[in-house]
Amino acid sequence: MIIHVKNLVKRFGELVALDHLSLDIKEGEIFGLLGPNGSGKSTAINCILSLLSYDKGEVEIFGKKMTPDAYDIKRDIGIVMQNVAVFEELTVYENIDYFCGLYVRNKAERKRLVEEALAFVELEDFRKFYPKKLSGGLLRRLNIACGIAHKPKLIILDEPTVAVDPQSRNKILEGIERLNAQGATIVYTSHYMEEVEQLCTRIVIMDKGRVIASGTKEELKAMITLGEKITVETFSIDEEQLIKLRELPGIVSVEHVDKRLIIKSGKGTNNLETVLDFLKTHEIGFGRIYSELPTLNDVFLEITGKQLRD
Amino acid sequence: MFTHIFIYRFKCLIRDKQLVFWTLLFPILLGTFFYMAFSNLNNEETFQPIDAAVVNDSAYQHDTQFKSVMENVSKGKDRLFHLKVASNREEAEKWLKKDKIKGFFTSGEVIKLTVKDTGISQSIMKSFADQYRTSSSMVTSIVKENPKALQNGLLNDLGNHRTYVKEVTGGSAEPNNVLNYFYSLIAMACLYGSFWGMKEVTDIQADITDRAARVNMAPVHKLKAFLAGSCAALVILFVEILILLAYLRFGLNISFGNRAGFVVLTALVGSVLGVSFGAFISALVKKGEGLKIALLMVATMAGSFLSGMMFMNMKYLIAAYVPPLAWLNPVNLLTDAFYALYYYDSLHRYALNLGMMFLFIIFFCTGTYLIVRRRKYASI
Repeated sequence: MIIHVKNLVKRFGELVALDHLSLDIKEGEIFGLLGPNGSGKSTAINCILSLLSYDKGEVEIFGKKMTPDAYDIKRDIGIVMQNVAVFEELTVYENIDYFCGLYVRNKAERKRLVEEALAFVELEDFRKFYPKKLSGGLLRRLNIACGIAHKPKLIILDEPTVAVDPQSRNKILEGIERLNAQGATIVYTSHYMEEVEQLCTRIVIMDKGRVIASGTKEELKAMITLGEKITVETFSIDEEQLIKLRELPGIVSVEHVDKRLIIKSGKGTNNLETVLDFLKTHEIGFGRIYSELPTLNDVFLEITGKQLRD
Repeated sequence: MFTHIFIYRFKCLIRDKQLVFWTLLFPILLGTFFYMAFSNLNNEETFQPIDAAVVNDSAYQHDTQFKSVMENVSKGKDRLFHLKVASNREEAEKWLKKDKIKGFFTSGEVIKLTVKDTGISQSIMKSFADQYRTSSSMVTSIVKENPKALQNGLLNDLGNHRTYVKEVTGGSAEPNNVLNYFYSLIAMACLYGSFWGMKEVTDIQADITDRAARVNMAPVHKLKAFLAGSCAALVILFVEILILLAYLRFGLNISFGNRAGFVVLTALVGSVLGVSFGAFISALVKKGEGLKIALLMVATMAGSFLSGMMFMNMKYLIAAYVPPLAWLNPVNLLTDAFYALYYYDSLHRYALNLGMMFLFIIFFCTGTYLIVRRRKYASI
């Protein structure tokens, strides 16, 4: 195990931020920590890194107990903070060099690593720029470069794509996949389910400081009853027809909201066909029709009864 | 590692234009304003000969004694009067009317003084006339009643003034009222260095900035990083204070006495005091950077005021009525150390000031260490 967390409890006064949190993160995986804002993701990361004190529990990284002065462990960790953590007075190159220099003493090696990090985040043309001259997306990329330049074995990224444009977000996600391909274990926290779903090989969903579900995205989706969500654009459907639709085999729920018919079906293969047959049989006119597989938001919704982004 | 952190902290600090302004340019500007405002202060307190006149009529011509006295007090470097001789009373009155003279003397049976206004110059002229009259009358009486007294050295005795109070000066330097303003300005600049110290603590405490959290995650001892950064801050502040000293000494001709080595030592101790003070306050106050800056600014300005930077007598009032406050005010300790170096031959008072500053530095450093050494935070 790269990270082993057992029964971690962290309280802020009356508030229980982490409630007996247990995690095991294996070498080489991209581990996603998903949860709404305030679910305890950042607190968990800060406790794991020994930045925050905790009330109870055990944290091991690389098989050793994690403490603030466990420098041999820290040497192999790269951290990318939720907020951009760079010095405004240093250029892009100097920022990366400064943070890399806290890990790597050899100047020549450091120079090579900084150049590689610059190339990795595609900031070579901005090396002499000060952070205030960079756009939000470029700043985020600099923030990542500062955390990964020393080639750590374990990289923890705490919501690295918050307030980033789609183009920069894609670059960041691609970069994370490349880092993983190069051998780094990734811990990725986010409240963007699409990112976690796209990127992570294993996911833990957190809420109120607790793990409410964990597994691969397929395993998580298999936990819920929802198999498919079919949306039909229709103007006229009466209450009687809605009742009949709900009674069809495999249909879990039917809603008619804003001229849209949202049909949730259970697991099965012919749900869309069944719905189409029903619409034709009852001569219900419709526009577009599309089907979606369940998302992690549906998983979260079914387990907690609320949306992931509430 | 130490060198790596030192170099980058140095770059971070020296590129902070706001801090460089407040810690270097602002004291230089303020010093220049002080110089422009106070340069005549000492000159005004130096005695200037009084513009006076005497009417050169026949009585004056015949009164050889008075004539001789007037000539004697109106010559030389320390003369009392800048004497003009009017050919007649009308001419003297004309001068008086046009403010060319403060008053004029007329000889006769009694020496007369004519003035237009009242003031210090007029009072001095009156005292002079009174004293002449008294001495002249005394000599005349003694000569009439006991002529032998002249042979026993009466005139010499009358010319001698004997004082029964022994004057002891603290040092060989000239007392100078203006210097205290400049010394407290240097002290203020040293304490403004607290902003450098504050920045160092801010960038090392993970519960204050994300940069600090990132540094805390590196395999570097936190206090080592803090020490390297503080050294960078100290070097910058010390160089700034030396630039300020050089500007005051060679640009504005402000005297610091003859002990340059001790002046530089005081600047160094003042710089350490400033940086450690800022680090301590920053570590102690858990609120935002704005509040910390406000606290440091208020503490420095209040200290400067109490050490006489805005009102010179304040320093003496504090020393007279609340002496512990003088010893507990770092700005005053620095100001007084500079003044003790300038004025006193003995280093006793200087050493006391320096000793107190060392105590403050030890207190601030220990306090900062105890707060900053915490390795985990309760909240971030």
